[in-house]
Order: sequence, then C-alpha cells, then structure tokens
Amino acid sequence: NSGCSPRGTCQSMCPNRELQERESQNRLHRFETLAGTEKRAGERCRRPRADPKRTVKEYSRPAAGKDSTRPSDLRPPAVLLRTVCYLIDDIVYDFAFDRLRSVRQDMIIQRTAGPESRAVLERTVRLLAYASFRLCGEPLRLYDPRINDTHLQESLSWLLRCYDTEPGPHGNREEFQALSLLYNLGSSRVLQHTLELPERLRSSPAIALALSINRAFSERNPVRLLRLAQRLSFLQSCALHRHMAAVRRDLLLLYSHGLSSRNCRFPLPRLAKLLALDVAHAGQLCRAHQLEVHQDDQVVFSKTCFSEPEPGGLHSNGSSRLVLVASDVPRRRLEREEEIVNERRVRVIAALGF
Amino acid sequence: MKEKTHVDQQSAAAAQRRSRKKTPKTGSASLCVEKNIPPRASLVNNKETNTVEGINMAHITINQYLQQVYEALDNHEGSFCAELLSFKHPHVANPRLQLPNPEDKCQQVLEPPYDEMVAAHLRCTSAAANHDFIEAYKFQTLVVQSFLKAFQAHKEENWALPLMFSVTLDLTIFANNAEQQLLKKGKGQPGDMLEKAAEQLMSCFRVCASDNRAGLDDSKKWGMLFLINQLFKIYFKINKLHLCKPLIRAIDSSTLKDEYSMAQRVTYKYYVGRKAMFDSDFKPAEECLSFSFQHCHRSSQKNKRMILIYLLPVKMLLGHMPTLQLLRKYDLMQFADVTKAVREGNLLLLTEALARHETFFIRCGIFLILEKLKIITYRNLFKTVYQLLRSHQLPLEAFLVCLRMMKVDGLDLDEVQCLLANLIYMGHIKGYISHQHQKLVVSKQNPFPPLSSVS
Repeated sequence: NSGCSPRGTCQSMCPNRELQERESQNRLHRFETLAGTEKRAGERCRRPRADPKRTVKEYSRPAAGKDSTRPSDLRPPAVLLRTVCYLIDDIVYDFAFDRLRSVRQDMIIQRTAGPESRAVLERTVRLLAYASFRLCGEPLRLYDPRINDTHLQESLSWLLRCYDTEPGPHGNREEFQALSLLYNLGSSRVLQHTLELPERLRSSPAIALALSINRAFSERNPVRLLRLAQRLSFLQSCALHRHMAAVRRDLLLLYSHGLSSRNCRFPLPRLAKLLALDVAHAGQLCRAHQLEVHQDDQVVFSKTCFSEPEPGGLHSNGSSRLVLVASDVPRRRLEREEEIVNERRVRVIAALGF
Repeated sequence: MKEKTHVDQQSAAAAQRRSRKKTPKTGSASLCVEKNIPPRASLVNNKETNTVEGINMAHITINQYLQQVYEALDNHEGSFCAELLSFKHPHVANPRLQLPNPEDKCQQVLEPPYDEMVAAHLRCTSAAANHDFIEAYKFQTLVVQSFLKAFQAHKEENWALPLMFSVTLDLTIFANNAEQQLLKKGKGQPGDMLEKAAEQLMSCFRVCASDNRAGLDDSKKWGMLFLINQLFKIYFKINKLHLCKPLIRAIDSSTLKDEYSMAQRVTYKYYVGRKAMFDSDFKPAEECLSFSFQHCHRSSQKNKRMILIYLLPVKMLLGHMPTLQLLRKYDLMQFADVTKAVREGNLLLLTEALARHETFFIRCGIFLILEKLKIITYRNLFKTVYQLLRSHQLPLEAFLVCLRMMKVDGLDLDEVQCLLANLIYMGHIKGYISHQHQKLVVSKQNPFPPLSSVS
C-alpha cells in the first residue's frame, strides 16, 4: 500500500484506548487527571481518573509486532494543531508564567545578582516575548496581554539594569538590548538608554538593526520599517509584533493622504509587499479602513475615505494571522512556520530548563 | 529679578526688623542643576555672606550659636533660621560647633523637635568636615524629618518656609555626594540615594500641598514650587520622568501658579519644557522653554545656555533656525552645521554634523530630537528640486537621484513615495502623488508652505 499513508480518525488529543489503558495502569500525569480524583495521603488503592479534555497521547517506542498505524490511534492534522495549542498555551504558558513569577519573587527577596540571575531573566524574557506574539488575540481568560506586558517590562528592565551594573561578560546583551528597542518601539526612554551604551555595543548587528527600525519609526517611514523588520530574527520579530498593526495602519494612512486622487490606482500585490502581508490580508486590511479595492486588485487611496476600523473587528481573531513579517511568498511562509515550531520547542524547553 | 515672591516678602518682613535679611537664593542659582557644588567648596566663595558676621560665625561658641537659633525660631525669622541651618553659611566650618555629642547641649536650649533638628545638623557638619557624605546624608535626613515634625505643628503660619528650602536643598546635595561616594566604593545602585531624598521631599510636599486651612498669606502652599523644582531635578537625573506628571498637575490646578517668584517659575518652566520635549509635545515645549529663556536673569549666561540647548532643537523643528551670532554668544557652535544642513536641505551634512557632535548631543539628551530634523531637511531638499525643475509635475525619479546624491542608502522609489506621502500628510507639501505616472503633482499656489505655518 505504498503512496497511500494512513489517515487518522482520532478526534481527541488522546485515543480512547490509551486513555483507558493508562488510567487502569495508573500512568496518568498530574495534568491529565480529573480534578478531585487525585490520590490523597493515606489512601492506598484509589486510582485517579482521566480527564478526557486534558489527557494527551504519549510517545511510545515503535516495536516489532506493534501496530502504530491504526487510524483510531492517529490524530488528523487539525487535532494535532489543537493539541499543540493546548500544550503551548494552556499547559506551558499558564504554568510557566506563574512559576516564573515565583522564581523572580525568590530572587527579589534574596536580592540575587550574578550570572544565574541574569540567565533566569533572559529565559523569562524570551518566553514572555514569545507569548506576546503567540497568544495575542486569545481570549482573556487564557492570556491577558497587559499582565504579560507588565511582567515582560519588569523582567526586561531588571535584566538591562544587571547588564549596566554587573561585571561581564554578557554574551546575550546585544540580543536583549535590541529586543527592548523593538518591544518598546519609539520609546525615547529606551532609545536614550541605548544611545548611552558604548559604541561597540551600539554597532553590533542586532542593536544597529533595531536602531534603524526605530529611526524609520521616528521618521515615520513605515515602508522602510517593514522592510527592515523582515531581517529580524524570530524572537526579535515576536518582540516587534505588537506594533505591526499600528505600523501597517500608518502606512495606509500616509498613502491615503499622499496618493489621494480620484484616479488613483495602486496595485494591491505591490501594496501587499510593502505591508509585508499576503494579498488577501492586505485587501482585507484596506477594506477595514474603508479603502476601495477594485475587482482587478487596484486600491484607490483617498484621504476622505480612510477611517479607523471598528474596534475588535480586526483584532479579535485576525491579528494572530495578520501577524509578523509574513511574506507573500508561500514557500517562505512555510519556512517561517517551521522556524516557529522549532523555535517554540527550543525556547519553551530552554525557558523551563528541561 | 523683577519680581519678588510672597514668600520672600513675608520672610523679608520679619528679617528686616532685625536688618539681617539676606538676599534669597535666586532662580539663576537654583537652575544650576547639573553640577552640585560640594558643601565645602561653597563655603569658600559665599559672596552673599556679610564678611564681619561671617568671621564671627566661623568662631562662635556652641552656646552662642544655640542662643541665636533659639531666638531666630522664637521670633519666627524664617530666613535667619534658614541660614543657621544652611551649608552655605560659614558656621558649618566652625570646629567649635562640631561636638561629638551635641544632643545634650541642644536639649538644654531648644524645645523638641528643634533640639533633634539642630543636633542632627551639627553632627552633619562634623560628617561633612570629614568628607563622609554618606553619614552627612543620614543626618541631613534626620534634620528634614525633625523639621517636618515642627512644620506640621505650625498651624496657619508659613514663616518656616525658607528653613524648609534650605534644609531640603542641602539634603539633595548630600544625597548626590553620598551616591557618588557609594558608587566609588562599589556599593548601591545609581539613583538609590536620590530616590530616597525624593521621598523626603515628597513628604514635605504633601504637607505644603494639603495646607488648605491657612489664608493665602500664611499658606504653606507657597513652598510647593520650590519642592517641585527640586524633585524635577532628581527625577531628571535618575531618569524617572513619569513621576513629574502628578507634580505638574498639582501646579496646573493651583491658583498660585503665576504668583511664585520669577526665579522659581523659570526653573519650573525649564523642566516642564524638557519633559514636554521628551514626550514629543513640541508646541508646549517651545512655549515653556521660551518663557524660561526670556525671563531667566540676564546675568545667568550659563543657565540661559542650558535652556537654549533644549529650546534650539524645538525651535528648529518648528521651523525657526537660530542665527550664528546667537550660537556664538552662548558657545553652542555644535549646532551651527546642523542648522546649516537643515536650512539647505543637505542631508549629507546633517548626518555628518550629528555624528561629529554625537557625544555632546547624546549627553544632553537631544540627539533623538535632532534626528527628527531629518523630516524638515527632506522638505527643504525637495523644495530645491521643485525650484530647479520649475514644474508642478515632478518625476519621483528626480527625488531619488537627489537623495542618492545625499548618500541616503538603500533607497528606492517606494521609500521616496513614502517620504513624500508623509510630508503631504504633515502639511509640508501641498499636492499628491500619482502612482500611475510616478510623479509628484504639487499645488500651483504655495506648494511648500512656510514651516512655521505648518506644525
């Protein structure tokens, strides 16, 4: 049956068979048990029950005689994605966010300093910056951007203060100085602080790029900004991500004024490229701003038509897809996705210290 | 100074009875934010002090000193009290006052909490004499705290305001010196000491601001602006500008805001202007800094220069270029090439000029603002293109060629369109871009409105 790979039919994160098996063998993880059924001290033979909403299929080593291709044991791509989202968003973020906070609490109370503390802060900042990209647009009960932001700012400024006052070497300093510049795009406080750094640091590639992006922002040149943004590393674009919507809006605003005329025809694919979006999303964004897009993919810029979109209309579910520096070349996007998954794994693992 | 404060007038009234009145600290001096003169140094050239009295004070016995303090407090002579506890006054160098245990003596002559205050002051003079500013700061904090206890108990009277000014000013100076000493020893974080001093100033501020019972003449509210200026000085130094906001609001809503001494108002406007500038509110920044510059005493060239460092960039952003004479007069030639570059639309020169004086501009915190001049430089350059081509339809290619000559790297027609779109949006160019024809079509009338009429 070559060329015809099996198609999974399992619709839950864990096949029913495995769930029952692990339940009976008492091999459930704490995250997978039904609340209230955990084993308590003194109880001998009570077995925790499985929560089908939280149990996740575990890895099992292929072995001779074991059939690992049964469709009922395989999850189709959509279920796989749901599984990954659950793992990253609920398990990792929710858990890690809280426990990282307590790590910082211990640090504050002991007034710790030195390389270990810096390494803790670096990993924390990475996870929170990643979360600010990955989880934006999630419902508030799963992810509160303001709280995430407060913690990120706190950890980041603490980290940068460590770099300023503690003796080096600080191998990752450039990365985090740049991250601060991007996350706080246009902040004169952060810019002034960066300018006061030694020339050697300022001219390092990461910081120089972040500075150029800030310069493009202060000159109000979104075209240049979005172009430069494509050169950022994954984590750096995560940090910049929360500003992307505003930058794109700015581009449309400027063009609506600068190119405003009745005969204006601006090819949508070209605009999409400037916006660093694919054509469909670029068109959607134009229409959200009441800009006319003709059948033949021509945009009519007009300063009288331009208006702000309804609050929530773009953000609620669109923003995590309208994201990042998604280029309109599909292959490139696939690479990006792959990068995201890889980075996700690396960063999450690094952040948790597994 | 043209005007006198109410505070000064009140305290002067009391002081003049004994004809001991000293000139109050002028705004010119209080603007001296960047350099705090160490207390020892200030003893040497204290021009304001009467020499005869100065000599006496430098050799006075502890009993005589305490007697003077007692009388000054008893007669409510705020200004004289202020001197007797000030590090600008010669008695602080008098070794006969630097007792190992001044508390007993002080208790014999003075009521609490004044005994505590003066004892702490005398201990502070010993510490300062030993150049131990960390100790000195600790005792000065005690001085301020005991003062505040007494001050709070003064119902419907404000004669002690000059004393508050003096002890809080010294507190800031010692905090600064203590911090330098700590950092030299590798202890503490920059800003720690100043932040602690700011807390003390804030407790004074709260007492002043909440004085709602007294009539206008006896109100402690006359002390608010002085404290705010001190706090500004600290917040700017430790880079916590956001803390200025509630203070500005307090003054904005105050009926006294135009009644304080000109010196204090000059200082206040200087800081508020700088704050507005960092928030990119250039119009208000220009108004505040202009006020400060116009009303700053003409003898304080140094302060006028400091104001100009911030006023010039703001003025330039709003289209007013300084003359060479002005730059020369105030020794600010660092701005000369920047001005020239902006006026001529010479981006290349602008980049060079910014790079050449980078250290100076960054230290003053104006580098970022000056970078914003690029937009105006673009405008001036594009205006030249328009004047050369003498047409209302200008090919985008012409702007690109022109920018490439200015070595603006990595530029293409898309970015040129974006730059032009921004200038049109801001009102610097009247016209529109035709994407199909790749041309900028400018208005037949006044396509480049004067800068001052735009922003």
